[in-house]
Amino acid sequence: MSDVKTHSIDISAMQRSQQALRIEDEKVCLSVNDLHLFYGEKEALKGIDMIIPEKKVTAFIGPSGCGKSTLLRCFNRMNDLVDSCRITGEINLHSDNIYAKGTDVAELRRRVGMVFQKPNPFPKSIYENVAYGLRIQGINKKRVLDETVEWALRSAALWDEVKDRLHESALGMSGGQQQRLVIARTVAVKPEVLLLDEPASALDPISTLKIEELIHELKKDFTIAIVTHNMQQAARVSDYTAFMYIGDLVEFGDTNTLFTNPSKQQTEDYITGRYG
Amino acid sequence: MQELTTDHISQQFNNELEALRQHFLTMGGVVETQVQDAVQALLDSNGSLAEDVKEKDATVNQLDGIIDEECTRILAKRQPAASDLRMILSISKAVSELERMGDEAKKIANLTLSLIDEGESPRGYVEISRIGQMVSRMIHDSLDAYARLDIEAAIKVAKQDRKVDQEYNTALRSLVTYMMEDPRSISRVINVIWVLRSLERIGDHARHVCQHLIFMVKGVDVRHVAAHDIASEVEDK
Repeated sequence: MSDVKTHSIDISAMQRSQQALRIEDEKVCLSVNDLHLFYGEKEALKGIDMIIPEKKVTAFIGPSGCGKSTLLRCFNRMNDLVDSCRITGEINLHSDNIYAKGTDVAELRRRVGMVFQKPNPFPKSIYENVAYGLRIQGINKKRVLDETVEWALRSAALWDEVKDRLHESALGMSGGQQQRLVIARTVAVKPEVLLLDEPASALDPISTLKIEELIHELKKDFTIAIVTHNMQQAARVSDYTAFMYIGDLVEFGDTNTLFTNPSKQQTEDYITGRYG
Repeated sequence: MQELTTDHISQQFNNELEALRQHFLTMGGVVETQVQDAVQALLDSNGSLAEDVKEKDATVNQLDGIIDEECTRILAKRQPAASDLRMILSISKAVSELERMGDEAKKIANLTLSLIDEGESPRGYVEISRIGQMVSRMIHDSLDAYARLDIEAAIKVAKQDRKVDQEYNTALRSLVTYMMEDPRSISRVINVIWVLRSLERIGDHARHVCQHLIFMVKGVDVRHVAAHDIASEVEDK
């Protein structure tokens, strides 16, 4: 008989694999409570309540100016650098309120790393780029540095491409490689959370797919939050998706459900290209 | 033909496509057994086997739903193109064919139970046995072709369907003649004719599965092409 009959049938397992993820079942990494953010008089975030689940990928989508990048920057207090910015509400990283007085912001940014749209390697060698964060922490032992650099470059799926030219300038790499180098530099200091702000929008389609595949690998070790203008990218890489619109969190839930049967009309209009 | 479900940069996408393919073949295996069992139950007047066949229909329907859902998700999340897109469309359609084969098998099981109640038909079992074997073979070969992306095998199955149709027409003529000679047997012989009709439909569905496979591999739509012309259609591409 044919090989088709040898497949065992476990329908309940198949059904389980299709069930929507439930945010209630997840471990909480970051929790956001009634977060308001003002740039001067303008309210850019209007009371956000949500959690970022641990070791999952959460994507933020929405039209320009909806506040998704602003929210992402709140997670490691990058908005502190904006003078007119004022924040109320709280964000907890595990049990620590990151806006509490006396928070060590440098330490926070080690725990919550960030990668930006345009790759921004330092004008140093590939090796030194990755080792940079460790040296700042005072780690100078060559063996530790070597091990961590290799581990980080492997984590960023870059090791095989650069292992023979670790001491050449990072600026000679392609855009896609530079972006993965930046990710390696970020993971080298072993953060808990990776914030990715449009990490692939300056890259060609193949490099984009490589970054997406990398994100899928990285979620085994890190909690990931990604902002993207590319809805399909959100659909491909994320477990949970949040749709934001002018400072409000409109819908937040399991990515499969949100992209096949969203519960809000606004979400439906946005992801089907009826609004924009 | 390249391997359809490997080589994407996204391993996750590979996994999704492979799972879809596996689930499709699994469902095919269930339907294949279901049809064989339906015919066997009828030939042996085996009521409990006929009940089994009816119960299996629920499994087939569940698998139909699961695979449909998988196709929907892949389309929504991955925007597949070219051979990936054709694979999803093809499986989505072929799954419906399998589901209908399952429905026909269930009809045969119901007719079997009627025949057990009302007494056997005096004629038609030889034809059912022969056509039953032919269509079981077609299902098996069409799934095998799907598993191996084998176009030649698919074309063979499509051609085989004509033979089934011929056998069916011959059987019908002889059963009609018999009923005219012995009108008391009509209600029982009619049950047998319906079984033959179901088997003939199953053959059609198996042919359609193969046509969907040809679309998937070659990108040509041969749904409305006569079986003996399919080979040349495919050659041209």
